[in-house]
Amino acid sequence: MKRSGLNKAEREALRKESERALRELIRKRLALPVEKRLNCLRKKVGLRATCL
Amino acid sequence: MDAQPVLAVLARALEEARLEAILIGNMAAALHGAPVSTVDVDFFFRKTRGNLKKLKEVAGTLRASILRPYYPASGLFRLQRDEDALQVDFMSAIDGVGSFERVRSRAKRLAMGGHELLVADLEDIIASKKAAGRSKDKAVLDILRVTLDETKRAQQSRTRGTPEGK
Repeated sequence: MKRSGLNKAEREALRKESERALRELIRKRLALPVEKRLNCLRKKVGLRATCL
Repeated sequence: MDAQPVLAVLARALEEARLEAILIGNMAAALHGAPVSTVDVDFFFRKTRGNLKKLKEVAGTLRASILRPYYPASGLFRLQRDEDALQVDFMSAIDGVGSFERVRSRAKRLAMGGHELLVADLEDIIASKKAAGRSKDKAVLDILRVTLDETKRAQQSRTRGTPEGK
């Protein structure tokens, strides 16, 4: 398996930053009214592709 | 693409046909605030003779066809509309969540375009994804767990009267 080139501390910092960004995104969505949280339907394009 | 108009039409069609069905899957998770996307709309329903008649009515209202893809475990009925490739799945069995009655007792009633829509509890959605175990389900599990955690935190801070996210 290819090594990432990052040490353990760097990987942990990246993981924490990803989780912080995810939590922030979810908090923003939770602050919206329910019907405004629905930009989630992917439209089929051609045989295999989809887009939001 | 905004799913609100689609859900409003579905809620109206279900109400007119008096078909009791619970929204589940990623669309339901998005209503709970999860940042996920989906190509279809999933419902849990009871497969009875009466409900299959009602499902035909719903398909008629949506101008969609009913297909039976070969997924024996889930008892799947797929409503497909050719004009815009809308896909709505009705399942009579979903692993990991227990009976329809149990899921219904925990579901929330949400207003959608002036009609009511039953939406499965986020914990039930997580349980169904966990039981399904497909790679696309595993990929969203962490997002759904964090969403559940944030929802609980928001509820706690509302009851305590402290600002959310603190």
